[in-house]
Formats: sequence, structure tokens, C-alpha cells
Amino acid sequence: MNTKLKISNVTKIYPGCVANNNVSLEFNSGKIYALLGENGAGKSTLVKILSGVIIPDEGKIYLNKNILKLNSPSDAKKNDIGMVFQHFNLFETLSVFENLIIDSDEQRENLREKIDTIMKKYNFSIDLDVPVLNLSAGQKQKVEIIRCLIRSPKVLIMDEPTSVLTEQETSELFLSLKKFSEEGILIIYITHKLKEVMQLCDEVAVMRRGKLVSVSQIKNENMESLANKMVGQNLKTIKKKKENNSSEQLINITNLNFTSEDPFETNLVDINFSVNRGECLGIAGISGNGQSELFQVLSGEIISNKNSIKFNKNYIGDLNPQERREYLMAFSPEDRLEQAAIPQMAIFENVALNNFKSSNFFNNGLINENKIKEHSKKIISDFNVNTDNINLKSQFLSGGNLQKLIIGRELITSPDLLICFNPTWGLDVGAINYIHETLIKINEQNKSIILISTDTDELLKLSDKISVIHKGKLSKIMNAEEVTSEKLGILMGGGN
Amino acid sequence: MIVDINFVGLIIASIMASAVPLILASCGELITERSGVLNLGVEGMMIIGAISGFALMTVTGSLIIAVFGAMLAGVLISTIFAFLTQTLITNHVATGLALTIFGIGISAMIGKNFVGIPGKEFPVLFEGLKDTIPLLSPILFGHSIVFYFAFALPFITSYFLKKTKIGLIVRAVGDSPESASNQGINVRFVRYACILYGGAMCGLAGAYLSMIYTPQWIENMTGGRGWIALALVVFSTWNPIKILIGAMIFGGLTIIQFHMQAIGVRIPVQFLTALPYIVTIIVLVVISRDSRKIRLSTPSSLGKSFHKDN
Repeated sequence: MNTKLKISNVTKIYPGCVANNNVSLEFNSGKIYALLGENGAGKSTLVKILSGVIIPDEGKIYLNKNILKLNSPSDAKKNDIGMVFQHFNLFETLSVFENLIIDSDEQRENLREKIDTIMKKYNFSIDLDVPVLNLSAGQKQKVEIIRCLIRSPKVLIMDEPTSVLTEQETSELFLSLKKFSEEGILIIYITHKLKEVMQLCDEVAVMRRGKLVSVSQIKNENMESLANKMVGQNLKTIKKKKENNSSEQLINITNLNFTSEDPFETNLVDINFSVNRGECLGIAGISGNGQSELFQVLSGEIISNKNSIKFNKNYIGDLNPQERREYLMAFSPEDRLEQAAIPQMAIFENVALNNFKSSNFFNNGLINENKIKEHSKKIISDFNVNTDNINLKSQFLSGGNLQKLIIGRELITSPDLLICFNPTWGLDVGAINYIHETLIKINEQNKSIILISTDTDELLKLSDKISVIHKGKLSKIMNAEEVTSEKLGILMGGGN
Repeated sequence: MIVDINFVGLIIASIMASAVPLILASCGELITERSGVLNLGVEGMMIIGAISGFALMTVTGSLIIAVFGAMLAGVLISTIFAFLTQTLITNHVATGLALTIFGIGISAMIGKNFVGIPGKEFPVLFEGLKDTIPLLSPILFGHSIVFYFAFALPFITSYFLKKTKIGLIVRAVGDSPESASNQGINVRFVRYACILYGGAMCGLAGAYLSMIYTPQWIENMTGGRGWIALALVVFSTWNPIKILIGAMIFGGLTIIQFHMQAIGVRIPVQFLTALPYIVTIIVLVVISRDSRKIRLSTPSSLGKSFHKDN
């Protein structure tokens, strides 16, 4: 039977922001639809309305000519709308089976049988009795999908499903989605990744600032046209000039090991690498394979053996982050609001946290506010942070602006080495472009970068050399020109 | 010296009796905390239960009314906590502390008229079997119904959490209220229910103290047992069976150090008095060292307010 889902004149207003402005869309089963847009374009709000998490201020939703009343997630479930959220809605400490039975009315045995059938049909293999926190991101997503499939949905909504997946897991997911579509499930695929839209979808709806900008057939579009629709202006493509860098070694890591007491952290095993001046070393990997541990060891949050890190002819393995900064290292951690900045503190206070002896932010233990504010203003103008209020609490900055502020704070002292971890995670195309340009500029000034990232496209674009981290071990270091994303994907999954 | 084997049995029984209020309050608080709510008002709810039970018993003369009335009093006072933390989204810690201070104060006020009044005898079960088996008889027979209930409770609680659907929902809410809400579970309702249940168990624990354990009303008679119950929950890593072990160790050392003081062992009294607290915590920390299990049984959202945004 054909399914037809219609969104009609949906509006949702938040204080100070129109998340959805009179959006109307129509979907038919048998096709895969893409909902494309930057962060904050309103696509997540729209799908949350479809899944009953958010109630719209105005507008109606029809499923096969019936008006749907979606006041809660259970209403959406009752109406055969299944949704896989970007941030998994799983209970980490419960077993897979417990996660699945919790919203099911079926008997344990019946449900187990049903799950087994689904897993066989789509070639999933997941141990039902382990706690969810032991699963990889890809497996967690499969659990979410199974949860939807148990209810044999008419509509399946996927919200940014590939942000945590490897290349292989992504293609597996695409195969499954195509299969679901053939079986008559209507699929709505939310993303900001253009490549995926081109690969997977039949039709694409583009949203910008809460409004629907265009609806079109994929065959009439290309990556560039979609990007321009999404951003609303012509984007310049940036490319790194690959030059012969100097052969002067800046940082050298030898036999670095880290054994964690926390069983949910990854141990680092025999890490060896070096980075030359003016070079960018990219470290790829699926998240949770030791990246955050590696970042912490490199930044000095975790102190290691003195001789394991040699930076600029000094052995600094036993120094803390502040001491390493004095040697002209700089750090941009993954979690912007938890590790890099303090959300409740003003912009200028956050700037002062990066306390160099030479910067004279403090006189005899007192805060030199004028000096710090002056310095903050310089960062804001130099690095294009879109605010003029340095008293603003950093939690009110958008992700992109916050990241620019952090990168600016780190770079304004012109460090020799910047270590960054997922610097563009969750940012929109415009901000990503800016960060990428900045990183390229650093390399051009003969400064070095260690870029730990889960985004392979970003790594291929920016790195001179690439290595892959898998279960705390680093692969051999390869020249970026010789590497393809497929090759990276295999290494990321633990292959050779 | 000849040790009378029945005397040993009696000591063990008295240890178990002293563990009863701890087990009741801890198992109640455990359910509350498993749903993600940290209620530091255990001491306050216990003392309210103690005075309510004793007062109702004196006024109505009915033990049944008194016991259930004490539980109801626990429910009522925890409703205040639930309303503040779940509906008005106040901070769990501050609200819980206020609840304890409130409970101690109001119980002292109500209790003024009941000081010095003798309590009633609480009926015991299986008294006829008391002399049948050496050692075991005094342990197994001749106790109040609350006593038997308390020793069944950790097992019931464990079964409830692991094997029943409602138990699963409680754990799910404590693990991630956001996910639970997105799954269509009414987080606020579940948390209200768990808080009220915790209140009922604390009320019962208080009633046990004032009606059965030492049948009289003394101001501040819970004497910090509520705080110990709270500590048991945390140091047992939210495991009901370990609560039972911890409560037994605590009760045991409390009783034994009394006897040691009475015999006149030459150890400073202060040290003896502190001993149960120290040893209980050390033992629980040692038996709960598996950090993987801690991660799996700790309610991740403990003490964090949740409100649905729309």
C-alpha cells in the first residue's frame, strides 16, 4: 500500500528565532527523501514535530489523508512513524534486549523471535544481552533501527544518521535503507552532507533559516548547486597547496603508552610519530578508538613519561597543559563547551583562562581586566567571531563562533603547533570553511598541526600525512596523496 | 567460659533488628535514586514516620492504623519534595536537606505531648516455635511482621528492578530521562511514584523505630540512621543485596561495640562509636570495586532535574 505523508503550513516559533516558517512538504512511499540544511536551518525541529517530540504552533500533518495529532512520541509510534535520532535514544546501562522490550507490549519470547527474524532479514548481528554501552556507534544505530522495525512502520525518519559511522557502516546503512524503501517504507533522510544526498536519495528538500528553499529531483542537481542552495550564497572551494615542507622535526613521539583505569577508556599502545614544521598530520578513526586519550596525552591533561614527547628539542612528556603552552603548543579540544570554554563565563574571562606569563593578564594576583578585554577584542576581530559583546557568556555563542573564538585564543600567541580534535564537529558549512582556511593558513606560516578528526573528508582536505587510530594503536603514517577515503575506512574498521 | 548457643542466636537477632530501619529506608531510597532523583530527606522522612506512628498508636490505639499512617505520613512529606523537585524543578540536594531539617523540627513539635508515654507491645509472629531449634530459633522466630518484610525487601527490590517491566522503566528513567521521554514514558510520573514509594518506606522505617525497636517517642530518635541509609545506597552501588550486607555490618558493629563498652574493653569510647560507620563504608567500598558494574548500576541522571522542553 502506498503511504503519503503531507506536512502543511507548519510553523514553530521559539523566543528570538523562527525554527520553522510555514513549511509545506509532501512525501510518497517508494522514494528516499533528503531534507538538507545547515545547522539551525530547522530540519531537526521539523522532524521532531513529525515524531511528536515538539508540538508545532501552527500547521497540520496528514498521513494518507488523515490528520495526525502528534502530541507525544507515543502518538507518532501509534501512527507508524519511526524515528532514529542523531543522538541515540538508548539507555546505555540497559541491555539491548531491555532497550527493545521497554516500549513493546509483546511477550519476551515473541519479541526475541521477532528481533531474530528482523536481524536475519537485514543481516544485522548484535548480541541482545550485552549492555548498550559496549556497542559501537554503528551497532547502536542498528538497535534504534530494529526498535523502529519491530513496529513495522510506514515512515522511517533518519536524523543525521552517519555523523558517527565509518565509511563501511555508512554503506551498510545505505543498503538497508534502500531495502526498506523497496519494501514500501517511506524514508526521510536528514543531513547536511551533500555527498550522501547524491548517493542515496531520490528527491531533496533544502531548508535555510527555518524556510523551505527548494524541492527537486536529485537527477537535476549536483553537489555545487545543492551547496549554494543550502548556504544561500556561492561558496568558494578551498584547497590546500601541497608543498614540500621543511624537514625540520617539530614534535616527536616515541613509545608513548597510556593505560587507563577506567574500563570505558581506550588504552594507547606504542604510539610513535613525528611532525615536521609546516606540516599537518591527520589522525583518522572511528570515535572511541583512543582519540580523546591521545589528545589528552598530547595536551598534557594526562601526563606521561618525560622522554616520550620531544617538542622543539625539549622533553615535555611530564608537563601540564599550561607549561606546554609556554613552549608554544596550543590546543583545541573536542568538547567546546566543556573542555575548551566555560559556558557560564564571559568571553573575555574565557580568553584569560589561557594564561600566559608573557601576556600580563594578572598583576600581583589581581585580574587586569582592561588588558584582557583589549586582547579579547583583537581575537574577535581577527578571527571573525560574530559578536561585539565580550561580556557575553560563552554558552550563548553559536558553535561556529565559539570555535572561532577558541581557535583565535589559541592562535593569537602564534604557537608552533596546534593540536585540534574534531574542530568542525557539528558546525555549518560556512564556519567549517572558515576554520579550514584558518588551519591551512597556519601551515602556510610554517607552523604545524596535529588534526585528530572523525571526518575523513576534512582529513583528506587538510592533511599532509595521515594515520589511522584503531583500538588505541596508530597505523603507519601515509602521505595524504596516496590515501583514499575507502582505504581510510578499511583501516578505521581494523582492516589492513 | 561456656557460651550459650541461644545467647549467640539472640545477639544475631538483635543485630538483625537494628538493621531493619536501615534496610527499609535504603531500599526505598534506592528506588528513588534509581529513577534519577536524589532525595537527601531520608532522615526527615524517617523521623516524621516515627512520630506519626507513635502518635497515631497512642491516640487511636490501633497498631494497623499507626503503621499505615506512618507510611502515609512519609508519602505526604515526600510529596512536598516531589512537587518541588519535579514540578517546580528545584535543586534536589537543597530541597532534600530542607526536608530533613523540616522533618526534625516538626516531629519535635508534634512529639512534645508524647514524651514519656509508654509504647504498646507489638505482636510477634511464630512465638511458639521460639525454643524448637537451638541457635536458629531466636533468629528465625518471634519477630514482628515488619522485621520479616524488611529482610524480604532487598530480594523483592532486586527482582523488581531486574525482572519486571516497571522496574525496567524505573532504570530507564534514571539512565536517561531524555531518551525515556522520547520513548513516550512519562518521566515526571515515574519519578513522582518513585519518590512517594521512597517516602513510604522511610515512614515505615521510622515507625519501626518508635513502635517496635524502642517503643517510645524520644526527640531526634532516628539519630542519623537516615544518613547511614543514604550512605548505604551509594556505597552499595545501588545494589539491594549489598544494602542488606551493609546494614547487617553496621547493625552488627553497633551492637557489638555496645557490648564491648559494657564489658569495659580498653578502647576509647569515641573510637568504638565511630567503628560501625568506618567499617561499613570500607567493606562496601571493597566489595563494590568493579568499576564496570558501578557504571552499569549507577543511575546516570542522578540528582539532575529534567523538564521537557516544547
